[in-house]
Formats: sequence, structure tokens, C-alpha cells
Amino acid sequence: MLNIIACFKWVIDHEDIKINPETHELVLDRAGYRISDYDRFAIEEAVALTEQYGGSTTAVTVGLPAAKKSLKDALARGPEKAIFINDPAFHNLEPSQTAAILAQSISNQEYDLIICGEGSGDLYAQQVGPRLAEHLNIPCASFVRKITIEGRELIAERRVDEGIEVISMPLPALVTVLPEINSPRVPGLKDTLSAAKKPVVEITASDLGQTFASCLETVEIKATTMERNCEKFGAEKDELKRFIDVLCRAGVVD
Amino acid sequence: MDFKLTEEQELIRANMREFCQKYVDPIAVEIDENSRYPAEIIAKLAEMDWMGMPYPQEYGGAGLDYLTYTMVIEELSRSCAATGFTLSCHIGLASGPIYNFGTEEQKQKYLTPLCKGEHIGAFALTEPGAGTDVGAGSTTAVLDGNEYILNGTKTFTSNGPVADTFVVFAVTDKTQRANKAMSAFIVSKDAPGFKVGEHFYKMGIRASQTSEIILKDCRIPKENLLGKEGQGFKIAMQTLDNGRIGVAAQAVGIAQAALDESIKYSKERIQFGKPISKNQALQWMMADMATDISAAQFLTYNAAYLKDQGAPYTKEAAMAKVFAAEMASRHASKAVQIHGGYGYIKGFKVERLMRDAKITEIYEGTSEAQRMVIAGNILR
Ligand SMILES: Cc1cc2nc3c(=O)[nH]c(=O)nc-3n(C[C@H](O)[C@H](O)[C@H](O)COP(=O)(O)OP(=O)(O)OC[C@H]3O[C@@H](n4cnc5c(N)ncnc54)[C@H](O)[C@@H]3O)c2cc1C
Repeated sequence: MLNIIACFKWVIDHEDIKINPETHELVLDRAGYRISDYDRFAIEEAVALTEQYGGSTTAVTVGLPAAKKSLKDALARGPEKAIFINDPAFHNLEPSQTAAILAQSISNQEYDLIICGEGSGDLYAQQVGPRLAEHLNIPCASFVRKITIEGRELIAERRVDEGIEVISMPLPALVTVLPEINSPRVPGLKDTLSAAKKPVVEITASDLGQTFASCLETVEIKATTMERNCEKFGAEKDELKRFIDVLCRAGVVD
Repeated sequence: MDFKLTEEQELIRANMREFCQKYVDPIAVEIDENSRYPAEIIAKLAEMDWMGMPYPQEYGGAGLDYLTYTMVIEELSRSCAATGFTLSCHIGLASGPIYNFGTEEQKQKYLTPLCKGEHIGAFALTEPGAGTDVGAGSTTAVLDGNEYILNGTKTFTSNGPVADTFVVFAVTDKTQRANKAMSAFIVSKDAPGFKVGEHFYKMGIRASQTSEIILKDCRIPKENLLGKEGQGFKIAMQTLDNGRIGVAAQAVGIAQAALDESIKYSKERIQFGKPISKNQALQWMMADMATDISAAQFLTYNAAYLKDQGAPYTKEAAMAKVFAAEMASRHASKAVQIHGGYGYIKGFKVERLMRDAKITEIYEGTSEAQRMVIAGNILR
């Protein structure tokens, strides 16, 4: 029997992000939100493992009160219950804060395994998983593409630069998973309709009894854009010279 | 007045989008090309409880409101109009009259397997000599002891080649006026004397299966009369009223797909050194598209909303259908225009959209028939 916690983040739907062509600022006023794509694999893996080995999955998210909308979506994907840690102060949390808040909230829960996505769909700092494991003082394997459970051991296949690393670690443990680990199920209609009946535990900042200071300051976020000038060049010597001239004039090289 | 979708409606729509990306988009081109019934998509729809959406859970449905059902058909049609229609025909045209007019036994026996997706449904009203003029039907049903004997030919029966359960209309009393002469029957594909004709090779919605139905001394149990004798015309009209909301939703989905494709393509295609989307001529096409889609969507949701409230909606359903169908055809053609020559080539989605859009102006009552319904209502 496995008690698994699957962490997920409610992020801006990247397809809805518009860019102001003059200022390069992100225009988010009509953006919708969705469960971070990477975290869908975490939820799926948790649910699939409990189907295979028995047990239950708890989906956990930290965010603004508006992230409440994410709970039915997450629960429709299979977890038995959710923990919703929210506060109006949880605006633009950075990974260190999210990990600390999660650790504080989870510390009194029973769990064998915590699964996170490899990174979030917005910041993609890839830090919450490892930091959370550190706070909880449990072993952590990141970038996992396959999980097998043998008794109280977890065997993880990790994708590393040089190839695949296979490691084993004792439970309780934390893993961050890669998209290749599974293919998340699409919730059925009745899964969605019954999600509203599943239990949700709400935790607010005051329940946590401490504040979580940030260590970073975001000065501004700007979009990169690709602009074409549609200048065409041939492969002859003169043309190459002209090509370099244009690059110099544009200030791309000097 | 509240135009806001509920959290549940948004989620269900998003789930259908996800379903489409995973199961429908990858094969939509192939099933159109081969005019193939997407049995694997239908099986998945059944597995995920979409086949009986708006009917009560006691019959295996999901108990959804009609408005949300409408959004689901729209979303599915955005990926594949043929699959969208296969589902809306199954739910609206075939299961609808059994739910609305069937006895408890008929619902248990026929509606439940339809809702669970174990059976597929079809609706056989049109005949070679009776299209818009429904009352001109010449298929007959005669009571013989404990059975009705049906004779005649139905045509353009969607889902015909794959359906298990048919709602069939036949004349039971020639002496009556057209609107009292017909009755409706539930006919199983296994009934003796029941034959499915060849699948028609169509211009659009090619993955939807369409055929003739040939009834030759076809014997069905007396209990399979739907409603009362003489109620057939009323059952047909009421069924088409709600079916039309489904066609309107299908048209909105097609038009939305035409806009999606146009935006994507016009931003990528470079001519005269800039994306073609920078030309006002094309911007206006897309602005009109977006505006008409919103208008059609509101008309469609309004008709569905009225139905959910138990209010009359015949006129509103006809308005939604004619407006949505005509705007979908117009804009699918514009979408091809925006794609230039590439839009005319097989494999580009807009080419399929243009062929698929046209049918929405024809079936479940032509645009002319919708205008007759609307005029009849406003000039009464
Ligand atoms: C792909 C497809 C699927 C279909 N699926 C089904 C199905 O599942 N079940 C079913 O029962 N039927 C189905 N139909 C039939 C469809 O509903 C009819 O084709 C439609 O109602 C028109 O009938 P008709 O083809 O006989 O055309 P006609 O009635 O002959 O019409 C020809 C033209 O004349 C116009 N017209 C006719 N009468 C009038 C009038 N009084 N005033 C003004 N204009 C008029 C029509 O608008 C049309 O433009 C399907 C048809 C197709 C093509």
C-alpha cells in the first residue's frame, strides 16, 4: 500500500500569453490557467502506481485562492483527495518559498512517496522537488523516467546527460518525473462530475504559523520576439560581405 | 442574465479538448480520406461516459444539462465534424425520442445500452420521395397480431451501417392528414426483414456512415411502437428541434476550427516580406469570422438554455441552426481563401472544413426549412 503525494502547480496557459509588440511585456489579462503540463505526469504516475501497488494519492497545490479552480481538474485525474494550501499572500512565490510551504504543510501527513513534475510550466526552475526533499530530509531522485517499487525500496531510472542511471533508494522518498514516464489519462465525464465530491483539505498561511521570506527579486519579465527583415543574400563573395555588413549595422556582431 | 460558464462546464469542455487532442486529431485526416467509421474513437467515447451525456444516470447517462452537451459537440466537431455528428445523431436523434416518448420498459431495454455506448443509434425519417416534405413518406406499418409489419425504404440514414437501434417512422393511417398519419417505432437491426443498404460516398463528414434502410415485411414486436399511433410526426418534429441545436453546435465547432487554422497559417505565411496576417484584407475576414462565431455560439447556447429551462425553443433552435450553418460554410470557404493554393490541397484542414461545413445547411432540415419554421413562428 502506497500513500503518494502528487504536487502540482496551477499556471498560466502558455497559449494565452500575448506579447505587447512595443514594450515586449507579457499581456496576461485574458489568460486562462491550467495544471502545469509537467505536473500532469506526476499526478498520472502517482495514480498509476497506486493502481498497481494499492494505496491512495493526495494531490497538493500551493497558490492563490483563485487556484481553487484547479482542484476539480486535478481530482478528476484520479487522486482520492486534495490539499489546497492557499493565501492571498502567495503571489509570485519563488521555488524556495513554495518548497518551504509544502514541507511545512506535508510534514504531519503520512506518505511513502512524493512525486513532482521535473519543473513548472511557467518558471521551470526545477527546484521545488529537490528543495522539498531537503526540507523533509528524505532521499530525492530527479528527472525520473521509470519507477518500480520493491518492498520499501524505490528503483528509479533517471535520464542523465551521459545516458540512463538506475538508482535505488528507501521510502519515503521524492521523485521528479519526466514527460516520457507515462501518457496521462484524459478524465472521463463521470470522473469530472464526481471530482466535486472528493475531500479537499484547505490550509492557509496562518495555519502554517510562520512566514516564508523570498530571497529573489523579480525586476521585470519580458518576452523575446523574432523579427524578420526579409533581406536575402546569395552565396557569392560580394554577397557574403554584404551579409556581414548588414549584421554589423544591425549591431548583432561587431 | 448570466453569460458565464460554470467551473464544471469549463472543465468538461477542456476535457473534451484533451480527448480530441489525444484520440481524434491524430486520425481525423485518415478517416475522412477513407470514409471510415472511427470505431476506436466511439469506443473511447463510450468508455469515458460521453455517449449518453444528457440522459439520467439511471439509464447509464451522465445527467448533464443540454447546454453543456452542446459545448461538448462543438468542441468535438472542432476536431472532426464527422465524429461530432456521429455522436450528436446517436444522442440527439436516436436516443432523444426514446428518452422523451419511450415507456419505462423501452428505456430500460433500448436507451440504457445506447447511453452506455454498447449500442449505436440511428434515426430513419427521410425517404427517397420525402425529404423536406416529411409528410410525403410512403413507408407503412400495419399491425398484425402482436407485431407491426413495416414496408418501405428510408434513405440518408446517418449511422445506418453501424447502428443497433433505429427510430423508424412509418404511416399507420393513410386516411389521416400528414401530421396524424405517421407513427414512430424502435427497430432493432436484427429484426427479420430489416436490411441496411450501401454506405453513401459523400462530399463531407465522410467518416459519418450514411445508408439506405430497406424494410421488407420487417416484423417488430407491437411494444416497439414509440408513443402512440399517429404521434410520429410530432415525435419527429420535436426530435429535430433538439437535434438542430446539435447541428448548430457542430457548425460553430467547424467555424472555430476554420478561424484557428486561419490565425495560425496567416501568422506563419510570409509574402511581400511580412506575414499575410498583416494585410487588412485578411484581418477583416478573420474579424468577421470571430464575430459571427460568437453570434452563432450565443444563439446556440440560448436555444440549449431554453430547452434546459423547459421553455419553448423551436424557433430559437431553427435560428441557431440556420445562422450557424450558413456562417460556417461562408467562413470555411474564407479560411480556404486565406490559405491560398495550399487550402485547396488534401491534408490541409481547411479543405476538409469547407466540405464538412456544407452539410450543416442541409440535414435536420435545410436552411430553407429552418426559415419556414422561423417565419411560421413569427407570423403566427
Ligand atoms: C449526409 C446526410 C445525412 C443525413 N442524415 C439523416 C438522418 O440521419 N436521418 C434522416 O431521416 N435524414 C437524414 N438526412 C436527410 C436530410 O435531412 C434531407 O436530405 C434534408 O431534409 C433535405 O431533404 P432532400 O434531400 O430530400 O431535399 P429536398 O426536400 O428535395 O429539397 C431540395 C431543395 O428544395 C428546397 N425545398 C424543398 N421544399 C421546399 C419548400 N417548401 N420551400 C422552399 N424550399 C424548399 C430545399 O430547401 C432544398 O434546397 C441526411 C442527409 C444527408 C445528406
